[in-house]
Amino acid sequence: MSIESPKRLIPGWVWAALTVVVIALVVVLFFTDRRKTPDTSFEYDLSSYTQIDPKEVIFKEAGRIPLNVANPSAMAIGPDGKIYVGGENAVIVLNDEGKELARYAVKGTPGCLAAIPDGKLLAGMKNHIEVLDAQGSSVATWQDLGEHAWLTSIAVNDQNVYAADAGNRIVLRYDLNGTLQTRIGAADTARNIPGLVVPSAFLDVAFDPMDALWVVNPGKHGLENYRANGDLVSSWYRMGMDLPGFCGCCNPTHIAFRSDGTLVTVEKGLNRVKLYAPDTSLLGVVAPPEGLLAPGSATMSCDLEPPVRDLAVDAKDRVLVLNNPKHVILVFEKIPNREGEAPAKP
Amino acid sequence: MKKESNLGRREFLRGTAVAAAAGAAWMAAHPRSEATVWQIDPTKCVQCGRCSTNCTQNPSAVKCVHSFQICGYCDLCGGYLQPGAKTRDSGAENELCPVGALKRTFVEEPFYQYTIDEKLCVGCGKCVKGCGVFGNGSLYLQVKHDLCMGCNECSIARNCPANAFRRIPASTGYLLKTGEHGGKERK
Ligand code: SF4
Ligand code: SF4
Ligand code: SF4
Repeated sequence: MSIESPKRLIPGWVWAALTVVVIALVVVLFFTDRRKTPDTSFEYDLSSYTQIDPKEVIFKEAGRIPLNVANPSAMAIGPDGKIYVGGENAVIVLNDEGKELARYAVKGTPGCLAAIPDGKLLAGMKNHIEVLDAQGSSVATWQDLGEHAWLTSIAVNDQNVYAADAGNRIVLRYDLNGTLQTRIGAADTARNIPGLVVPSAFLDVAFDPMDALWVVNPGKHGLENYRANGDLVSSWYRMGMDLPGFCGCCNPTHIAFRSDGTLVTVEKGLNRVKLYAPDTSLLGVVAPPEGLLAPGSATMSCDLEPPVRDLAVDAKDRVLVLNNPKHVILVFEKIPNREGEAPAKP
Repeated sequence: MKKESNLGRREFLRGTAVAAAAGAAWMAAHPRSEATVWQIDPTKCVQCGRCSTNCTQNPSAVKCVHSFQICGYCDLCGGYLQPGAKTRDSGAENELCPVGALKRTFVEEPFYQYTIDEKLCVGCGKCVKGCGVFGNGSLYLQVKHDLCMGCNECSIARNCPANAFRRIPASTGYLLKTGEHGGKERK
């Protein structure tokens, strides 16, 4: 009489199938994420704004100037064509092809720079202006503007220095010796001045080719034109995510004028550089987000500083864009025969 | 037999007293390490949305919080308004928050104050992303400890793509954002 073993009662293939089921259960239960992904209504999608039709782009990248300085944060072009770049504890001086000519030591990181015709350099050091001579030695320190001051831009002409203080929401006019002359941009209903709205540390000033001073009013998404005495001459504002508008809470972050009077603007959030005619109509795009080496602008995590830290136009009307994280100046030239010239004067 | 039993009890009590004294001495020499809780490092969070879907609590124990110190009180708030909002009014069609948890009140022209209705907020991070891209990054996500169950293994932390979750001392509780000029310090 033989006794049948239990193995014979349950065939081998059943054991194999059971093993497979147990393994599958373990994998499904412990090694997969079966929770639902967030609904699309919870997604923040800017792709329709970051993608720019190539036909709108009227400039091309003509070169890159690598920068051998930590945290490059400010840029200026001197009357002799030299490029000055301020970074951590240093200002480097480059020729127009990017060859380093000199290096000045400074205490801190300049937030803005401007070269004056006598060869001196003005460096905005958060709450004061430092004057450097042609050898890079500090020859003067202008008034301390207080703990809230945050100098973000300097523009210079033959008689005046205009310094934008984003922290105190004001533009200060100095003479060339650093004596304060006028405070520009404070709200004044009697003079029809709306007041500068500056939600973050971006406030830019620039001269157009006719020596008129333009001040960005970033919270109002536009520009204001002031006389030296602080009178408001004109203004234009254009809030919007679309191409002709200025997006976000506070834009444009930087401006510069070309010799034909066209205006170059930089925006943060939607990182883009654009060109406007003197009549304020949009002429085209100088650089879309990818052109600024900022393809992730729409997915940028909080608190990253915008990649573009400064803007300049050189004597050849090229647009120079300072990219901080990439340590590079991007040089853009107009594409010949593309739309985008300023309308001919009547 | 009875005597033996009494002796055993006495020895047991004596032994217990010695063990308790030794334990107390050891604990005095080695103070208990502080209790910790889960929290989000706002500098690492990329607002992937999983905080709203992966928490064991429904709605999530993760909520949006706001640093008034960093906020620009902007009219055109990237955290409050849809990217393409044509107008700046607070009509529902213009609001970015899918559950209407972000509220704004007029302060003075052109400034608005933004607050979060915690009961409505599901911690999706959509407003956080908008504020970070276009504003000062004053909105951010935190685990609220009055709502968090303190799961041993936080089910969001397990799936966080940015490694933004970490345990911090319970006495600290939160990883708060501070900073002047939009929290964007120039080095
Ligand atoms: S899971 Fe991580 S990255 Fe995603 S929202 Fe939460 S903390 Fe941020
Ligand atoms: S958008 Fe999301 S994180 Fe922001 S308040 Fe609304 S529910 Fe909360
Ligand atoms: S520990 Fe638990 S309750 Fe707290 S946030 Fe994580 S999953 Fe939610």
